Amino acid sequence: MGFRMRYLDLKRKVRDVRMLAIEGIAEAGSGHPGASFSSAEIMGALYFHKMKHDPNHPEWEDRDYFINSKAHSAPGFYAIMAIAGYIESDEVKTLRKMGSRLQGHPVRFSKYQQQHSFPGIEYSGGSEGIGLSVSIGIALAKKYDGKSNRIFTLIGDGESNEGQVWEAAMSAPKFRLDNLVAILDRNKIQQDGFTEEIMPLDPVRDKWMAFNWNVVEVDGHKIEQLIDALNRVERMEDKPSIIIANTIKGNGIKHMANNPQWHGKAPPRKHIPILIEELQSEVMIAPSIIAGERENYEEKVRKAERGGADLIHLDVMDGLFVPNKTFFSDTIRNLRKITSLPFDAHLMIEDPIIHVQDYIDARCDIITVHSEVCKESEFIEINEKLLKAGISPGIAINPDTPVPSWIYEHLDTIDVVIIMSVNPGFAGQKFIPETLSKMIGATRSLRQHGYRGYIEADGGIDATNLQQVFDAGARIMVAGNAVYGSADINLNMIQLRHKANVSLERKLLELATAKGIRDDWMKTRKHILIPLANELRIEDELHAIK
Amino acid sequence: MQLSNERKVSDMRSAYGDALVQLGLLDPNLVCVGADTTESLKTKKFGDKFPKRLYNVGIAEANLVSIAAGLAIAGKTVFASTYAAFLPGRCLDQIRNTICYPFLNVKLIVSHAGLTVGPDGASHQQIEDLSVMRTIPNMRVLVPSDALSVKFLIPLIASAEGPFYMRLARPASDEVYNENVNHFEIGKGSILREGSDTTIVACGLMVSQALKAAEALMAEHGISCRVIDMYSIKPIDSQLIYKAAVDTGLLVTIEEHNIIGGLGSAVSEVVSENHPVYVKRIGISDTFGESARDEELDSLLDEYGLSFRQIMDVVMKTRRKIKK
Repeated sequence: MGFRMRYLDLKRKVRDVRMLAIEGIAEAGSGHPGASFSSAEIMGALYFHKMKHDPNHPEWEDRDYFINSKAHSAPGFYAIMAIAGYIESDEVKTLRKMGSRLQGHPVRFSKYQQQHSFPGIEYSGGSEGIGLSVSIGIALAKKYDGKSNRIFTLIGDGESNEGQVWEAAMSAPKFRLDNLVAILDRNKIQQDGFTEEIMPLDPVRDKWMAFNWNVVEVDGHKIEQLIDALNRVERMEDKPSIIIANTIKGNGIKHMANNPQWHGKAPPRKHIPILIEELQSEVMIAPSIIAGERENYEEKVRKAERGGADLIHLDVMDGLFVPNKTFFSDTIRNLRKITSLPFDAHLMIEDPIIHVQDYIDARCDIITVHSEVCKESEFIEINEKLLKAGISPGIAINPDTPVPSWIYEHLDTIDVVIIMSVNPGFAGQKFIPETLSKMIGATRSLRQHGYRGYIEADGGIDATNLQQVFDAGARIMVAGNAVYGSADINLNMIQLRHKANVSLERKLLELATAKGIRDDWMKTRKHILIPLANELRIEDELHAIK
Repeated sequence: MQLSNERKVSDMRSAYGDALVQLGLLDPNLVCVGADTTESLKTKKFGDKFPKRLYNVGIAEANLVSIAAGLAIAGKTVFASTYAAFLPGRCLDQIRNTICYPFLNVKLIVSHAGLTVGPDGASHQQIEDLSVMRTIPNMRVLVPSDALSVKFLIPLIASAEGPFYMRLARPASDEVYNENVNHFEIGKGSILREGSDTTIVACGLMVSQALKAAEALMAEHGISCRVIDMYSIKPIDSQLIYKAAVDTGLLVTIEEHNIIGGLGSAVSEVVSENHPVYVKRIGISDTFGESARDEELDSLLDEYGLSFRQIMDVVMKTRRKIKK
């Protein structure tokens, strides 16, 4: 647990992948958004973190191999390759067109096959059920040559209908291929409908165990779980491993999610700006464990995890920068042992430059320091340390502090800006409404200067003000009392999530209206909007739509 | 071309196994994949010599050729082998998409091609492979006629990058070539006997039948037949076919394959586009075969129209027809 992957940067890259893929599909007028989106984190974890590869030297001998057996996830794969630096992002828009290097299904590039492909594509897919066998071939060659290359293969659950998958499943353990990792994109949907209706695959875990594979199961949209699993299976000896990644087909765009209709359908182009907005509007909830009853932090972390938290917010207070004291790096170090959730450490301490190493060593994933106690030169030094360690750097700004102008020089090295909506130092404070206009102004100004990181709202965030900070631009919501203030933490999380959903739908609806496609959008989005109709005050309108 | 004088028989599969061992000594990068038929295909010889370079995947042909593709992606020269009925019979898709499209360095060497598989029956008689394999872009298709051909062709295809399909026969075959004759080229055929009246184009086991027929046609009827061993079905030796059409005005093809799509079709394609003359095709007339014990081999070939006597009949009849 704990990973050095600059979590928010990775998160943003995967978001960019979805944006590129959906643009490409819309431009092509066909393609598979469902599989592209269910596998985005899987491929992201591989290409942006785990795999040894070099876009400038695609044929590097020591590279790891990625075999995309479920090749209909091509738009997502091409988008991954673009963000990873193999092709220009613009080229994704040539997807599936005549003359394009981006064929409907990727084509292996070699000196013998240069057409319709580009360097870095190892495998020609399109016919299902074959890639795992091919990976076994590569793994055999590398293993018996004593090479250290690893082979990662993405397989699908619909694809697992193919008998050849099980021929491969049987043979990899025979050859003790511990350099082979299969990742099953378990999105439970195939072309004709739900997998368990078309051809039941469960109990899928038992099947692979029975075939003598090392099996690990994760939430396939949690990058931290994927990376944790990828790290763990690396230590397995003499056995191939499979990571069963439970995913949602079409994840990221709500009306496509878990909807068989979107297996292989392109959205109309006019929807693209709205879809992009949706992808950019994913809200992360970060429970702050100093809130609520005094109980042990471990219990609070576990409860947050069960409630579906995205991050754990850790308020470190030293009694100097703020009047109160909470905990230090040793506590974090212990908490690190019980969860793979990313740690969002908020250092409310004097002289962060002296102490930051402790928090790096405690395996925090995001480390935010306060602008009030950092000179620009110190901030640069801290940032360098963090980036080198693979940690997302953040900067926090108190209600009374203006955004320091030097920030604008370092925007590409900042992953999160926390705009405080209380004066830090105590848990359970009330949201200061005046901070909203500051957040709006700061967000606008940061974006105008090219900032692509996250805005985090911290201080008294709850269901009553979540929409306001959402509209102001915040996408990470630190929630203390709103999560831990009453007993039913799961319910509290659901309420916050619901508020985030309502905020999102309202925003998208406004955008659709501005683009002159309100009715069309409501029709597309109907099954998402119906349960929110009352809150969005669109009951009559929805009713009128067929 | 100097042919072997006395009739000797030899076994193509053993020649294949021996050739692999020879190549394996020279090239540590060469590997083999088998599918529970490594004894039969004689790739076990290679495995005994190089235990870490033969992978037996069990009775799983789709897996066999796809693992072969993976080994090739990792830079290996790969020979994948099993019975012709199942490779390509069972894995056309994998051969097409996974090997031929990306032009991978995989050599598919199969045995038990055609009717002459012994008592196993029609399920094991592969008579469609030449047709199917030669229509796949990037694939090259070879049909050796005896053990020496195998010995010389295997190193050739090992050193040529990209996919090949080669079909071997199960029974011991008459020796067509001898040790002094070692000129084989991919995309070429060999004139084994000169002649001016008719050309018989054959491949595989049918080459020795064609030679017998040519001998008998000269002896009994004074008809001079050119005999071509067209061991390379794709690419095919268009020059040689064109010249035969110009020189002899009649071509008879014979193959241990369905009459549709194989050698006869390939020759007809060249002739009809370049120098249209009669091409009479002999093959299995679009029907399934049957079991036959080894000692019934000649009767089996007779029954399906593939004996040298039937070649003679066809040559005589076709010549009469042309003259009318």
